[in-house]
Amino acid sequence: MFSRTRHLWRALFHRGQWERNLDDELQWHLDNRVEDLIRRGQTPEEAERTARIELGSRESQKERCREVHGLRWPDEIKQDLLYAARLLRRSPGFTAVAILSLALGIGANTVVFSALNVLLLRPLPVASPGELRFVERDGFPVHHFARYVEMRDRNKTFSGLIAYEFVALAIEDGASPRYAQAYLATGNYFDVLGVRPQLGRFFGPEDDLKAGAHPVAVLSDTYWRSRFAADPQIVGKTVRVNSLPYTVVGVAPAGFYGTELFYRPEMWIPMRMQPQVEGISLLETYDRGPSRIMIVGRLRPGVTPRQAEADLGSISAASPLGAPEFQGDWNRINLTPPGLIGDQFRRPAEAFASGVMVLSAMVLLAACANLASLLAARTLDRSHELAIRSSIGAGRGRIARQLLSESLLISLLGGAAGYILAFFLLRALSAWRVAAGVAVQIDGRPDWRVMAFAAAAALLTGILFGVAPARQAWASRNTRGDLPGRATRPRWRFREALLPVQIALCCAVLTASLVSFRGLSRSFRTHLGFDPRGLAVASTNLAFARYDPENGRVFQRRVLDELSRVPGVEAAAYANALPLSAANSMWVLFPENATDSWPAKGALANTYRVSPGYFRTMGTRLIRGREFTWRDSAWTRETAIVNETFARTILHSREAIGRHFRYSRRGPLVEVIGLVEDGKYVAPAEKALPVVFWPANQEYESAMTLVVRSSGTEQAAAMRIREVVAGLDPRLPLFNVGSLRDTIDFQFLPARIATVALSAFGLLAAMLAVTGIYGLAHHAVSGQIRDIGIRVALGASPWQVLHPLLGRTLMLLALGSCAGLALGLAADRAISSVVYQASARDPVVLAGAALGMVLIGFAATWAPARRALSADPLIALRHE
Amino acid sequence: MTEPAELMRGTLDLLILKAVSLGPVHGYGVLLRIEQISGGAFAIEQGSLYPALYKLEFTGMLAAEWGTSDSNRRAKYYQLTAAGRKRLREETTGWRRVVAAMAAALSARAEEA
Repeated sequence: MFSRTRHLWRALFHRGQWERNLDDELQWHLDNRVEDLIRRGQTPEEAERTARIELGSRESQKERCREVHGLRWPDEIKQDLLYAARLLRRSPGFTAVAILSLALGIGANTVVFSALNVLLLRPLPVASPGELRFVERDGFPVHHFARYVEMRDRNKTFSGLIAYEFVALAIEDGASPRYAQAYLATGNYFDVLGVRPQLGRFFGPEDDLKAGAHPVAVLSDTYWRSRFAADPQIVGKTVRVNSLPYTVVGVAPAGFYGTELFYRPEMWIPMRMQPQVEGISLLETYDRGPSRIMIVGRLRPGVTPRQAEADLGSISAASPLGAPEFQGDWNRINLTPPGLIGDQFRRPAEAFASGVMVLSAMVLLAACANLASLLAARTLDRSHELAIRSSIGAGRGRIARQLLSESLLISLLGGAAGYILAFFLLRALSAWRVAAGVAVQIDGRPDWRVMAFAAAAALLTGILFGVAPARQAWASRNTRGDLPGRATRPRWRFREALLPVQIALCCAVLTASLVSFRGLSRSFRTHLGFDPRGLAVASTNLAFARYDPENGRVFQRRVLDELSRVPGVEAAAYANALPLSAANSMWVLFPENATDSWPAKGALANTYRVSPGYFRTMGTRLIRGREFTWRDSAWTRETAIVNETFARTILHSREAIGRHFRYSRRGPLVEVIGLVEDGKYVAPAEKALPVVFWPANQEYESAMTLVVRSSGTEQAAAMRIREVVAGLDPRLPLFNVGSLRDTIDFQFLPARIATVALSAFGLLAAMLAVTGIYGLAHHAVSGQIRDIGIRVALGASPWQVLHPLLGRTLMLLALGSCAGLALGLAADRAISSVVYQASARDPVVLAGAALGMVLIGFAATWAPARRALSADPLIALRHE
Repeated sequence: MTEPAELMRGTLDLLILKAVSLGPVHGYGVLLRIEQISGGAFAIEQGSLYPALYKLEFTGMLAAEWGTSDSNRRAKYYQLTAAGRKRLREETTGWRRVVAAMAAALSARAEEA
């Protein structure tokens, strides 16, 4: 077996050498034979002749030698391909259309697949990524650190359990402190993930023992290269982070960014430095205060995720520290694959990517159907040539193979062009960042999976659309070679079945793109619950300059005072985070009395901490009650403002003002003092969410986003914020500075991508439909041009001429359109999860789709109809 | 000298293997050697010699190497591989068995049947 492959390999790839050797050997034989024959007394001429006759035909000798060396198939395929290439060169128009439509179809599919690949298929760059699981507690991705320690120390199902947290930092590596994103990570982090440093060492458990005692940092490859020019002496040097010196101990390998796909940290710092980094300690809190720790574990060999879930669940339930209100369901642990903050973004991302994938596959299918009917028509036109080939001895199989190799050649060329297209598109995509200052980046460079996918798509489509003409040739028993012009009734059935399928696909994509387009344009006008026009924002974190809560409060109030004194500023406020800013926190709340009809587990609401004047600044309508004042603080009774959905679904009251609820089951009462209108908080396409606002002065938080409403431009106001903050404290770097409109723009990105993709697909599908219908109509007219000419000469009306020709085509068009419209309408639910307010039950969409199909039909049949009506009977007859 | 006999199907490979087993030899040499060792009893159709050689090379029975002949020309020399030697042994045994059986069958007499 080995010998065969080796010989075939050598014969295939050193073919010239192989053929020369064969020639030499036969020549050597002849020469020797001639010599021998001369020695036996023949004349040289006689000897030459005898030797040649004895050896037989040299060509057939060689052919047989090639055959036994397994070269027959490769040779014939080569012949087929060469012949196909010649044919394609001869009809450049057809070739260009075919390759272009495939390139677009395959290119689109490759880009979409690549996104899917990054999201779902590509493993994390760590040792045995399949063993890693992200830990969620009752569907929540974050935990308190003390709970993590408990799970780490008491579980029996993980070989290692790590914890990490996203943090914002101010790094002093240049002229002034700079905002950066980083990870706090436990000492076992690198060990459990199985990563090796490219320089120095990683921090280990010995660097994560005592709170605040381990100022060491591991740099990411990107940071090390961009800021330190890949300095090989970096280990041991000092970097100031949040005003504290940290010693660089090592550099992470290129391509390693931790376990989250969309987070690009610049450094890793030991978890026990959390109080120093964030200003307040979250290391000891348990079921109280913010929880931001994420947990990933490596399953022990042989342990099923189910067993591990039960193990961690029982540890959580049996915890002696657990608060009574977090019992029962709260201790249900579920494990998910890591990468997208567990599963938090996986389902929407999956739904989105698969939706687009289905659409792009539909476009590719439409392209296939189109090419199949074009090729089938060509085969019909070539029946004469094929008949000649079969009459001189080519078997039906051989002819079918010839036709198939033609379509495969087209598909491979189209696939290659599509891959190149996708490659450049993807390179542009991965160079692009979601927003300045956001360390989120998609690594979309194509890998071998993408390449394999493009190749498979090309081959599959080639076979799909190549089978039709090949089958036609196979089935054809016609060896007489019908003369061209003498129109035999062409075989329509197969192509007639293809057309409505193609039209339906096209119409479905068209409808879907219209639905999404309408939804998008509506979502820009949708009410967000605040008025972003005229608002400038800037974010910072007082922990960057190591403020304690007392000084922090003073600073926060002073900033607002200074800002409101700036000319042109109408209102200023701050919050720990703004709606639609991707920073979301949730709170579990409990009823005033156990008898109130609240959810058993407590009610869940999104929360924001906002300063006095926040709603006025944001332009959020206060329906009832009052805004916070500086007197709403930790030293007075606890107050809250809620939105309409909170009042309706949790308080069951339209009034809301004066009602109470609690933070914990036996915590102090919180009084509702204000009711504000609903808005959009997490995503523009969300359903109404219950939201509660706390007074920022009540519990200090170091993260703050300043928001300013001014009469000038948003950019100028943003500059003013910069100046004011720099004037008060130059150690505080700002991030996400600019107009609020720009900073929430990324929220509309999925909808935009969907709309752009759908529009591109819609256009492509429309193009394909036009060429498909045109091909069919054109063929119908050419086939009967003589009859038409005669009928026109005899005075037939245009209707009488066109009806038998195009009536069926148009009927197929109508049929396909109806099916496609139904399909497109069925898809509107999938689209509405991405694009806000997308609905196909929209007269504009229906009318648009119908009009689109009519236009397509008109564009495609115009030229053939004109040709039929102007048919000259004399020319047609002369052609005979 | 009797007329050369038609070669039986399948025996050409065996004869080639035998001829090559006597020492490295080029294609034409195989032809001469078969004529020589069979005492000219077999007429080998030259047209089928090379396809047979190529097939044996392809299946790994023969190894070929380019060398220089006495007259200083490039020539392809064939040699038996381990697999070829094994095959020659097996086929020889098989052939002997067939010959013995045929001989026994053909020398049978009526009363023994």
